[in-house]
Amino acid sequence: MKALLKLAQWVTVMVLIIGGITYLVWVPSPQESAYTLAKTWGSKGDSAGQFNEPTGIAVKGNEVFVSDGRNHRIQVFDVNGNALRQFGAKELERPMNMSIQNNELYVADYFADQIKVFSLQGEYRRSIGKPGKGPGEFTIPGGVAVSNNGDLYVAGFTQQRVQQLKADGRFVQQWGVSGEAGTFGGKLRYPTDVAVSKDGTLFIADGYNDRVLAIDANGEILTKWGGPFAMNILGSFNGWFATITGISVGPSGNVFVADFYNDRVQKFTPDGTFLNAFGIKTTGPTHTSIAVAEADDGSVFVADYANHQIQKWQPGK
Amino acid sequence: MKIKAISINLLFASVALLWGSFSFAAGTQYDMRVDGLACPFCAYGIEKKFTKTEGVKSVDIDLVKGLVIVTTNDEKSFKEAELKTIINDAGFTMKSVIEKNL
Repeated sequence: MKALLKLAQWVTVMVLIIGGITYLVWVPSPQESAYTLAKTWGSKGDSAGQFNEPTGIAVKGNEVFVSDGRNHRIQVFDVNGNALRQFGAKELERPMNMSIQNNELYVADYFADQIKVFSLQGEYRRSIGKPGKGPGEFTIPGGVAVSNNGDLYVAGFTQQRVQQLKADGRFVQQWGVSGEAGTFGGKLRYPTDVAVSKDGTLFIADGYNDRVLAIDANGEILTKWGGPFAMNILGSFNGWFATITGISVGPSGNVFVADFYNDRVQKFTPDGTFLNAFGIKTTGPTHTSIAVAEADDGSVFVADYANHQIQKWQPGK
Repeated sequence: MKIKAISINLLFASVALLWGSFSFAAGTQYDMRVDGLACPFCAYGIEKKFTKTEGVKSVDIDLVKGLVIVTTNDEKSFKEAELKTIINDAGFTMKSVIEKNL
């Protein structure tokens, strides 16, 4: 009996030690002051300034571009939420994550299986790709990023891959195994979005693996993060994820991740060091933070899916 | 006068018959219970697959009840295995389906 009690004590102590080490190693503390919610705008509807499921966001200068999913349009606002213009209703079926490069807006169209390109004023320019599962073809593209040299990176949600294409749509290479979801062996699990930094580092939102992959300009994995060993262990601790739906690199060079099921945005350095987290908790069956973008002054704009609104956050002082 | 009454009755009967045939031929509704329908990427994937299927009239997704509700025209019907495949392809598992004639 005594031996059993001793064993139980020993096991308890070991569990506490392991738990403590796990917490210290894999649950980092914020490195910055807390962000504050400056304002929100929008409600459910189809008028200017209203949304029916916002699904993507991008910022350029003093303008905020929003994918208005079920209204199949892009709405543009100033940084205070005043509606400026809208476009894309003819060309877009279900716009999702977006990016801006060389004064053009690239929109992943989930239903059309194409990338649609517009001027920032709203003129339709061209489409890239076509439906299909082959090289340079798309099946449910969730997000797009464009590097300085004009190369495109497209997250193929159900094709379990990210493709790199030339500006004219020619296939260069891909990450992930087409049509095969997985966590190991170079596989992805429902990638939702991509972002590229100024130095050419590619960041993949490996959505259902609850992790971010950082890939260098040669296509090699630099690092990955998201929970212990970045191996599809989801959670709500700092630095952990529960389904990533959007990712962006801000003017500061930091990486912002929309952590959808946790209703928050998490901010990291490019090497994956956790910096901060903020968001609005959901009150409904679905969730809030689906996409994120940082403005030049450090303000962060979040597409809030559940509440059909945009959140504007200010960094702490 | 009698002939006119018979004609009106015949007209009503024809309209009723026609209405009845339309009612019987209005299609089918499939209420599919699918777990974890909170992520729009998945919900949209399901919606897209059904929307692009010939013969599907409407697709509604009820996130609160976890239901995918698909209605078809009279010429289109799904077998349970087909529905399961479509849902699986979108990354989900169909738990059950209720079929209703419209």
